[in-house]
Amino acid sequence: MMRFIAQRAIWGVLVIMSVVTLVFFLIFVAGDPAVTILGPQARAEQIADFKAKKGLDRPVPEQFLSYLGVVPCIRKDSPKYERDDGSRGFCGILQGDLGESYSHHESVANVIGYRLPRTLLLASLAVLFELVIGLTAGVIAAMRRNRWSDTAIMFATFVGISLPTYVTGPIALLIFAFLLGWFPFGGYGVDAMDHIYHALLPALILAIAGAATYARVMRGELIETLRHDHVRTAKAKGMPMSQVVIKHAIRNALLPIVTLIGLSLPFLVGGAIITEKIFAWPGLGLLTIESIESLDAPVIMAVVLMFGIAVQAGNLLADIAVAALDPRIRLS
Amino acid sequence: MRSTLKTERQRPSRWVAGAALLLIAGLILGWVIAHFPTAPIGPRYVGAGHETPRSGGTLIFSAGSNIHTLDPHFAYDTLSTAACRLLYDGLLDYDYDGNMIPGLAAELPAVSSAGRVFRFRLRNGIKFHNGREITAEDISWSLHRLLSKAIGSPGYPFYKSIVGAPAYHKGEAERIDGIVVLDDKTIEFRLDEADQTFLNALAMPFAYPLAKEHVQKLEETEGRDAVGRHPVGAGPFAFTRWERGVQVELERFRDYWAPRAGPDRMIFLENISSDVASARFRNGDLDIIHRPSKVNRLFLRASDAWAPYRAEAPSASVFALGLNCELPPFDNLHVRRAVAFAIDRSKLERLDPGQVIAAGQVLPPMLAPYDPELPSRQEFDLDRAKEEMRLAGYPDGLSEPITLWVRGEAEVRVAQLFQQDLKAIGIEIDLKMVSFATYLKETGRPRVAQAAFTGWHQDFPDPSNFMDILFHSRSIHPENSENRSFYRNSDLDAILDRARPEVDREARLALYAEANAILAEEAPWAFLYYPVDMFAWQPYVKGFRPHPVWLNEYRNVWLDLPKKRVSQAIYQEQGAP
Repeated sequence: MMRFIAQRAIWGVLVIMSVVTLVFFLIFVAGDPAVTILGPQARAEQIADFKAKKGLDRPVPEQFLSYLGVVPCIRKDSPKYERDDGSRGFCGILQGDLGESYSHHESVANVIGYRLPRTLLLASLAVLFELVIGLTAGVIAAMRRNRWSDTAIMFATFVGISLPTYVTGPIALLIFAFLLGWFPFGGYGVDAMDHIYHALLPALILAIAGAATYARVMRGELIETLRHDHVRTAKAKGMPMSQVVIKHAIRNALLPIVTLIGLSLPFLVGGAIITEKIFAWPGLGLLTIESIESLDAPVIMAVVLMFGIAVQAGNLLADIAVAALDPRIRLS
Repeated sequence: MRSTLKTERQRPSRWVAGAALLLIAGLILGWVIAHFPTAPIGPRYVGAGHETPRSGGTLIFSAGSNIHTLDPHFAYDTLSTAACRLLYDGLLDYDYDGNMIPGLAAELPAVSSAGRVFRFRLRNGIKFHNGREITAEDISWSLHRLLSKAIGSPGYPFYKSIVGAPAYHKGEAERIDGIVVLDDKTIEFRLDEADQTFLNALAMPFAYPLAKEHVQKLEETEGRDAVGRHPVGAGPFAFTRWERGVQVELERFRDYWAPRAGPDRMIFLENISSDVASARFRNGDLDIIHRPSKVNRLFLRASDAWAPYRAEAPSASVFALGLNCELPPFDNLHVRRAVAFAIDRSKLERLDPGQVIAAGQVLPPMLAPYDPELPSRQEFDLDRAKEEMRLAGYPDGLSEPITLWVRGEAEVRVAQLFQQDLKAIGIEIDLKMVSFATYLKETGRPRVAQAAFTGWHQDFPDPSNFMDILFHSRSIHPENSENRSFYRNSDLDAILDRARPEVDREARLALYAEANAILAEEAPWAFLYYPVDMFAWQPYVKGFRPHPVWLNEYRNVWLDLPKKRVSQAIYQEQGAP
């Protein structure tokens, strides 16, 4: 088990490294960050100043190595640029320094630090809704197979999977916030309870597709499991149906769901971009869009790094969880 | 056996159940539609009816993206500048007609040495939010911070004409020689060469003074970026709190030098898209809205109920087709003029009513010496366009299509409008849509883009800010040219170089009028339109007017409280649009 985790972790790091390298060079293919940050009104002089300050006038490979922290710092506005003894310091990710945002004029750690908890709040609420709604609907559909309630649920999941958030989001805002006034009209709120209240509607919208998927998978798995011998044995012993389902069937049917949850973790962080935009939720998604539009390289890199880690961690956790739940699976 | 029986028995009842379900769903839907609340037609709240300004209440307004910093030395985007405008105050300011007026300075400066020396006297009783009185030393210290190498502010180019500023900016000098503090209340600026726009530069938020002791303490304990999170300025509103990406909260500064009644608090919401903002505004949750979404703009425009509470004002920008004067066929003056005459700009005004004004010259309508009757102005005239094509030697049109660089869907739609117009004189247009980043990089290089959708928004209200930067040959560089049409005209250069330092306002404007005429005539840009902004405010918001320089000027706003909720029925009679 430990060996498996170590292997997966090494692979994960390699994948993240390649993604980081790729994105770093892609940013420079996309355009010139200095020119884009300062915008169409910029003077050539301002651009030259900015490049010198941020080390953007150095060769791109040197910038990359300096970003990694392998060669000395090239960002002249970094406190680590010069050490007290006059030698050059290091300011890369190996030193735990994500740099300073070009447009926000403060450290990337700060810029992300403000927004990450908000995105996590939205994502965890969404996962909660997905599980509660999806699994309940799936179990009901399986138990009442081929009845009208099953048909209705399956039809609803079909619609749910097909509708993108940029359609459901504005409609939900129009109806529940603008016309009915049950939910706030986008935004983040001022205190903890208010944040949750503001997160409810976007989290529900974000959860629609996931809940629909879970419901379909759960129904399929449960129907399959109900045919198994151990379920039939339990029934034959005279156990009430509800007990059979809860004690014997659901646990088995949950296995693929666990994998799905693991795989959906990064998707929730990434998929929240559109939802955050619609609901004016000031999380990482909005930050990502803005940074890409303005080529705010240090922020883009940090976000890519985080998404990469989320993907790898999600996969790893899913594998471990499945192994833990299903004694037949041996990881080697 | 049993199950077969069951399904057979069930089959007819399933159809009945399905039909019943549909019927019930239809009934519920019908009921919901019939009883659904409708959107408000007019304002939800009105004021109490007070005539004289009074203090109190909270003013809430919003913007579509992030505020980046509250440190005016870094603020170079619209939102950060707008927030700094409330928190800080400068030596000079503009009134609602765009004229320069004193701010922290007691009066406009005394000018000597043929426009090279400006001496300012500060007002009495001007204070930072921490209560300390502002002295000439503070003005000097703030400008030194702004122009220092360590800060690397984008504001530097506007102040480099101060004696010794370039050396100080490079780190070669300890002080800027041209900033001289004469006594506590008097400060003098000495320039290398006469430059009238230096006063405009001093009115920019870059030059707003910061409290030295506060900045130094913060920079020591929390780092340089902390100043942008905990601002202490001298503006009419002081900082309370900033929830990043959510809202900035301000409170009225009681010791402001020009005490006036106003809201006790202000909340500047961030990241509220125009759709959400528009709905919140109509709901009564937002007090002032700038640039509502298109649907809501058309609604507000057509609504009688909202008529007294909205305004449309052109912003100080111009959009155009930039024609590369170094590349064929636009190295030929007559082809450029043909394009300028072939474009029917009224199409745009019809396509998007109230959103644009047709442009025929570089200066926007609110900026002197704009002349609506300029003899050389560009306007739609197909006969003259064809005549110019003939003079250019292309009576049958161009054999090759032109590549026009555009930056996004909105520009594609505008460009498509003109494709037909240009076809009429035999010019085919290929649209090349590129990202903003690529556009900026490539159009700044000579001999790359044949034609590009382009535009300019003023940094400060002076004609030089359009003409010098966009059309002077000095603005052409191998990379990142500001002059993106690569237009060179030594006559124009000479006029601009004479106008910039000219102290006599009338003579100066006459020179710019001449330059304006040349630019319209020579058509390095085929001017398209001036964008128009819409503002709307709630009936209880008083004293708001669009400002020609700052656009959103919230400094003079007061709230007519308590606001009262009104019944929407009173608007029904006036008819919903």
